[in-house]
Amino acid sequence: MFRAILYSQWKWSRLIVALGTVAAFVLPLVSLQGAARADRSPLEAAALLHAVQSWGTLYPLLATALGLLVAIATWAPDHRGRHIHALTLPLPRWRYVLLRFAAGATVLAGPILGIAVGALIAIAAATLPPGLHGYPVALALRFGLAVLVAYSLFFAVSAGTARTAGLILGLVAAVIVIQVFASVANLEFSVVDRLQIILVNWPGPLAVFTGRWMLIDV
Amino acid sequence: MSHAIETEDLEYRAGKRFALHGLNIHVPAGSIYGFLGPNGSGKTTTIRLLLALLRPQRGRIRVLDGEMPADAPRLLARIGFVPEQPHLDSTFTVREMLQFQAPFYRTWDARRAEDLLRQFQLDDQQVIGRMSKGQKAKLLILLALAQRGELLLLDEPTDGLDPVVRRDILFALLEYVSQYKATILISSHLVHELERICDWIGVLDDGRLLTETPMATLKNGIKRLRVKGAPPTLGDAPFVLLGRQICNGAGETWVVRDWSPEMAAYFDGIGASLEDVIDLDLEDSFVELLRASREAAGRT
Repeated sequence: MFRAILYSQWKWSRLIVALGTVAAFVLPLVSLQGAARADRSPLEAAALLHAVQSWGTLYPLLATALGLLVAIATWAPDHRGRHIHALTLPLPRWRYVLLRFAAGATVLAGPILGIAVGALIAIAAATLPPGLHGYPVALALRFGLAVLVAYSLFFAVSAGTARTAGLILGLVAAVIVIQVFASVANLEFSVVDRLQIILVNWPGPLAVFTGRWMLIDV
Repeated sequence: MSHAIETEDLEYRAGKRFALHGLNIHVPAGSIYGFLGPNGSGKTTTIRLLLALLRPQRGRIRVLDGEMPADAPRLLARIGFVPEQPHLDSTFTVREMLQFQAPFYRTWDARRAEDLLRQFQLDDQQVIGRMSKGQKAKLLILLALAQRGELLLLDEPTDGLDPVVRRDILFALLEYVSQYKATILISSHLVHELERICDWIGVLDDGRLLTETPMATLKNGIKRLRVKGAPPTLGDAPFVLLGRQICNGAGETWVVRDWSPEMAAYFDGIGASLEDVIDLDLEDSFVELLRASREAAGRT
């Protein structure tokens, strides 16, 4: 049963996964391309870290994009068929959703492996200046976690009906309206800041996307 | 008589304009039950309720040996379904769709699927999105039959298809029923088609079941009578008078239900004479039933 679901998932999202895997493999290699040489001075090592940090902003973006696109690909055919095929299959709805989720998470293993292999090769090929260390496994694990968080979030939203999407948009609109009123009333209260603290700062659910994504660090 | 489908006072409302009103359907096990009704009468909604795609607001649904929607996953393994609109993923090939369906059904009959592929002349490498309407209909029937369900729910499966494809599909259905003693509920507004294959008929209009009867009873029981000298008001008639129309000075035309020949004596009792009894085909019977029901409800 899972094999059948996984095959359909692969068929629907193979282009996204293939491109994502290539991008994930290339990103660590490019971020260290020609940068890591043993003859660098400590000052140049700082510049190297700065360059790696700049490239590092692409990892959470790639993770988010992959999570979003695979989640959309997971549900789009069911939405097109108004879920009739899925709902007439002889299994509980929660199990179908779980199988779909697992299938999407499985195909995302490709880009996560791509990061791991790319990062390991990049570190192996580079000669790091003294005091700097490579963290390919940690980077790959963090990327994996970020991809799964993004995928879970967008999977939940995509699984919903137009009404769910409306509710989410309504919630966002409500936050904006409250913020505008708070500003007009000169209140020392920022909903956006509060939300940012709750969601993005550790231990918020989106904390994995923030901070520095470093393939090499001190 | 055991029933493959039984509903009790089934109520469902969708928006302000459409509702099913206390639907009581009884589909005998092993029968081919024609679910007849005009567009928008509630046939598709009823089938969706039977499949637990919708939840009833009131009433009870019993399908095979379980309750819907409570036992849906278990029962759906024994029900083949062909929807009104093709719902399959259009990027799959026929072969991929067969391989997708098979693991979900313990009773999946791979040999029958291959036989039907040949019988329906379907190319297993063809992408579903590029298939004609007739080919898609055949594929849906193939999937429903290969899963070897005890009950088939078919929602206008031959609507808009050419006569050759319709004949192929109906032939496959009849063959399946004779082989597996399955029950079929087939909804349609193509009256002649149902007349050919069904042994029971349920007529639905505006969310209400007008009648549910064996096909033979419906066909033989609805008659057009030519009557002369009938009084304006009638006493207790042994039949159901569906309609009464005055002809140009030559008596009246009545449309009656539950007619049998011995009821002719009734006319002597009311001082009228029965001039003629005319048989109606299923289409005429269906139209007369609808007309009578709509007149009674004050609609046209």
